[in-house]
Amino acid sequence: MEPEVVEAELVLPTCLSFKKIQMHEKYPKGQSRGRQWKHLKQILQAENFQNGSPDEPNYINIESPPSMHPPMRICDMTGFEAPYSDPRTNLRYANTDVFKMVRSLPPEYVQRYLALRNAAVVLK
Amino acid sequence: MSSNVIVLDNGGSLIKAGQGGERDPAIIIPNCLYRPLSSKKFQNPTPLPSSTTSIIDAASEDLTSAAVRRPIDRGYLINPDLQRDIWAHLFSSLLHVSPSSTSLLLTEHLFTLPSIQRATDELVFEDFGFKALYVADPPSLVHLYEASRRPYGLVSKAQCSLVVDCGFSFTHAAPVFQNFTVNYAVKRIDLGGKALTNYLKELVSYRAVNVMDETFIMDDVKEKLCFVSLDVARDLQIARKRGRDNLLRCTYVLPDGVNHTKGFIKDPEEARRYTLTDGAPPRSAEAEKDMDLTGKSEERKRTDLTKNEFDLTNERFLVPEMIFQPADLGMNEAGLAECIVRAVNSCHPLLHPVLYESIILTGGSTLFPRFVERLERDLRPLVPDDYHVKITTQEDPILGVWRGGSLLASSPDFEGMCVTKSEYEEHGSARCRKRFFH
Repeated sequence: MEPEVVEAELVLPTCLSFKKIQMHEKYPKGQSRGRQWKHLKQILQAENFQNGSPDEPNYINIESPPSMHPPMRICDMTGFEAPYSDPRTNLRYANTDVFKMVRSLPPEYVQRYLALRNAAVVLK
Repeated sequence: MSSNVIVLDNGGSLIKAGQGGERDPAIIIPNCLYRPLSSKKFQNPTPLPSSTTSIIDAASEDLTSAAVRRPIDRGYLINPDLQRDIWAHLFSSLLHVSPSSTSLLLTEHLFTLPSIQRATDELVFEDFGFKALYVADPPSLVHLYEASRRPYGLVSKAQCSLVVDCGFSFTHAAPVFQNFTVNYAVKRIDLGGKALTNYLKELVSYRAVNVMDETFIMDDVKEKLCFVSLDVARDLQIARKRGRDNLLRCTYVLPDGVNHTKGFIKDPEEARRYTLTDGAPPRSAEAEKDMDLTGKSEERKRTDLTKNEFDLTNERFLVPEMIFQPADLGMNEAGLAECIVRAVNSCHPLLHPVLYESIILTGGSTLFPRFVERLERDLRPLVPDDYHVKITTQEDPILGVWRGGSLLASSPDFEGMCVTKSEYEEHGSARCRKRFFH
């Protein structure tokens, strides 16, 4: 901008040459902004990390890889150690009392318990 | 020069802000807007006093079932509009600064996506009009602070450390070498304080009372009652016992909205008994009697069904256990110890012994009791015998990053490292970002 314009402190909408959409075009005056943001998942997809080289570190490939050790089995109902698991529902249980309860559960409840440890069957 | 630099540690849960060069941030405020049941509008939260880190203790109103909106999701700023509202409140009515004559030192997590960086720059320069901006990543600031605190320690002599930042949104293990984070060696676990609170919420809702909407209350429960178990199998055995033998059972009373608007632990003595589980000499019969006399009366022992309260037993240690063993709970990621080992292994072999000896823990989720002991126990079998393992904790893990930033802001060449507003207007976001070497 010219120095005279800067000195006069005129309120002009700034125009930044590197931007495709200027701030004042993005948010016109007198209009409500509404939902302007995206979820992280959408942003991640837009970044196209799949196409980049695998040696370059980015958000996707710095995730800690799966563990080498077997997980501990914990009862889904009570949170105690679970030596058994029910082949019909896949729920893990600690003792016979819990097992009675497991078998009396309706299927959607079973799925919710499984969802607690990310093991639920998700139909897509 | 340092007088007009604002250091802003923009965390997922708490904003830490203050003048550069000072020891403690002037303002700590939750990075969210909330709406209590009694109100129709989302409002700005009250700043936390320096004595507490619990949001619910600092709030003046009743936060039962309050709705929350956060600008940061999984550590990254995804809602700049909301962040602008929060920052506007922070700068104008809390810190009383005018951005046009102030520089800003902002923290941003590692590997922030370019589009988010662009939105942040837009926010800083175009909405607020700051004079200059410097973007730092938390691990290097933590390293800087620790190195300056112990000028003759290993961290500052070797000029490298492994910073483990276990915060609200996620956990990073990041090696730092000569004040720069070693990018290719960073490892991340998608688990932080928020995931832990959510898991606790689910467990309690499935087993006792439905608390799915009570984010702030469960945060409080987590901070006050959870601890890290040193031996999970043994603690699970203890948690199964009945009556007084069960050293881990503890009752939390939910607010009823009439007599008390804040939840509390029914019997603080009971909550502290978990420390007896390890290594303590078996209590003599006499001590047992003493405890009975001084201890609770009958009415306290009985569970009062008219009140909303719930017992926690194994949940108290299974929740923080997630950080160490995410696989137990269905997450396909390695635990913290393995994550650290992998971060170190991706560095140059000559750095390995030094990195293992200078592990620095920071972030709010490391405040669980016995976190360090457990990490040491997990790490020792995975590290070669001839290396020492030494884990340092910060004296205040929540403020550690801010203090590093304050130190950096007061250094004489800080102004030179910043990107100024005119540079931004000329070159744009992407080119200015190159200066920060992230």
